[in-house]
Amino acid sequence: MTTTADRISGLFFMLLGLAMYFWVNPNFIETVESGNIAPATLPNIISIILAISGAYVAIKPTTHQTRNPVLMAKTALYVALLCIGIWAMSKLGFEYVAPGLALAIMWLIGERRPLWLGLGVIAMPLLIWFLVSEVLGRALP
Amino acid sequence: MVEFSTILAGFADAFSLYNLLFVLFGVVLGQFVGAVPGIGPIMAMAIAIPFTFGLDPLPAIAFLVGVNKGGLVGGAVPAVLMNTPGTPDAAATAMDGYPLAKQGKPLKATKMALFSSVTGDTFSDIVLITVSAPLAILALKMGPVEVCALMIFAFSILAGLIGNSLAKGIIAACLGLLAASIGQDPENFTPRLIFGYWDLFGGLALPSVAIGMLAISEILHRLSEAHGNLRPAIVAKDTGNPADRRVSWAEYWSCRYTMLRGATIGTILGALPGIGSTAAAFMSYAMTKASSKEPETFGKGNIQGIAASESANSAVVGANLIPLLTLGIPGSVGAALIISAFTIHGMQPGPLLFENQGRLVYGLFGAMIMANFVNLWVGQLGLRLWVKVVSAPESIIFSSALLLCFVGVSMATNGLFGVTIMLIFAVIGYLMASFGYSLVIFIIAFFLGPRFEKSIAQSLALTNGDLTQVLKSPVAVALLVLSAVSVVWFLKKNAQENPA
Repeated sequence: MTTTADRISGLFFMLLGLAMYFWVNPNFIETVESGNIAPATLPNIISIILAISGAYVAIKPTTHQTRNPVLMAKTALYVALLCIGIWAMSKLGFEYVAPGLALAIMWLIGERRPLWLGLGVIAMPLLIWFLVSEVLGRALP
Repeated sequence: MVEFSTILAGFADAFSLYNLLFVLFGVVLGQFVGAVPGIGPIMAMAIAIPFTFGLDPLPAIAFLVGVNKGGLVGGAVPAVLMNTPGTPDAAATAMDGYPLAKQGKPLKATKMALFSSVTGDTFSDIVLITVSAPLAILALKMGPVEVCALMIFAFSILAGLIGNSLAKGIIAACLGLLAASIGQDPENFTPRLIFGYWDLFGGLALPSVAIGMLAISEILHRLSEAHGNLRPAIVAKDTGNPADRRVSWAEYWSCRYTMLRGATIGTILGALPGIGSTAAAFMSYAMTKASSKEPETFGKGNIQGIAASESANSAVVGANLIPLLTLGIPGSVGAALIISAFTIHGMQPGPLLFENQGRLVYGLFGAMIMANFVNLWVGQLGLRLWVKVVSAPESIIFSSALLLCFVGVSMATNGLFGVTIMLIFAVIGYLMASFGYSLVIFIIAFFLGPRFEKSIAQSLALTNGDLTQVLKSPVAVALLVLSAVSVVWFLKKNAQENPA
């Protein structure tokens, strides 16, 4: 598993470096005639080093232990939840989304105690709102 | 050279009541988050940075320094009481702190950690104040060629010292530099790698990247492992003997050489970019044990072990600012985050800071010294309270931390686009950490990237593209040779550690 993980990540970075060099950099960096160093020079050099280093990691993997795939899948669930949270904030605003987001996170963790749920879902968003809007006078997302 | 009146004015600013309140708040917050396993001062600093936006530069930076210093003291509490270091730096403290607590002396252990921490920290701050101005003057004599060579040297040191693989270190640095390439090209100001998103024209915001990679990615990792139950707090026995609840002057004085050694190791390692306080703590512990007449007592509750670890890990904090203030190179993640605070307030860390913002720099030095005394005072009063903190449920801590990150980054980047970038980098950071790629190298490379590219462009302009001109600069040659030696040495070390 550990060797495979390093080979996979090494291969990924090798392909990323190659993709950056052959496709991304030529298409998404403007060409400039003057100057001492062209805009694409450093990204191109970095891409080559990235590809070579990736190949090296793939060929000579370390003994690094990756995280448990089940935990990584669980993390993906939280990331999805945060994405929904950001999207909802763009539509409704922090004040309406924060309690629901906090509740969802706490519930997923396994928190069921009313006192702690109340603190996380009501008290904390209220405190943030007070601190940002009233004390600092800044806009919430 | 900074005028004496500027130095005095800086210290006067530092010792104002207004500034003292922010230092106090920072230390209290730092000790609190340090005591909670899994949060730590780095995450707290990352979350707090955007909230300093509305403050003057000095209280803002002093507050963050207070968080960092307080966090190191707080981190020793769960290490001693639960054998669960609140911060990685405190891992060595647990080796003797926890056995001492099990003997019924938890307060003696935590107080010894506090006193050694403040001692080491003060030592390193004095060194910082003494050497940074002369070093900055030297740094100002460096031209673009020397700066470029210095950057290469910094990268070679960073890549070799963090992680178990040089190749992985190089990949992390490359990714940081690629992320730094997004936005305007520093020489021609043309858009680069913005993929049609004009919000990216100014580049990726450091708060978004730093908070995403350091705070959110760690929170995500912790969330996936959390269970929502209260962690069982240790019920520490008490011997009933008042002498076991305090550290006598004789006990403190008996550790003086240990603390001096630890502080020296911490200061030296702290001044070198990228080594970190965890390495300093373990190195100091190992050297103390090796030089002890009773090495068999280590790991069984020897206060010398606590003194060695805590004096070293705390000494790193002040010394980390030496490369930051003199060369503009962050020596650690904490220093990289302090850069965010500088940039939020429109300042660029580096040797010119002493010339342009001398009063602020000496104000910061004053605040650091003051933070040590506040740390001691708050620690004396708060240790019993922090013991209760270690039993706070993860559910409330992490959900609140996430909301604070959302709001903080939104404030720092003026909208949800920055929050989206933060989440993207949180995922990148999580995956990098999962596969063993250093986040510290990424962040530091990301920060140094634009300066590195600019120094290359200036060097090429200065030498008309003739690289042999570099040979005319002995400093640049020495740095490049050192870089090459470092890379070769790390490759050898790596080959020994990972035999095929």
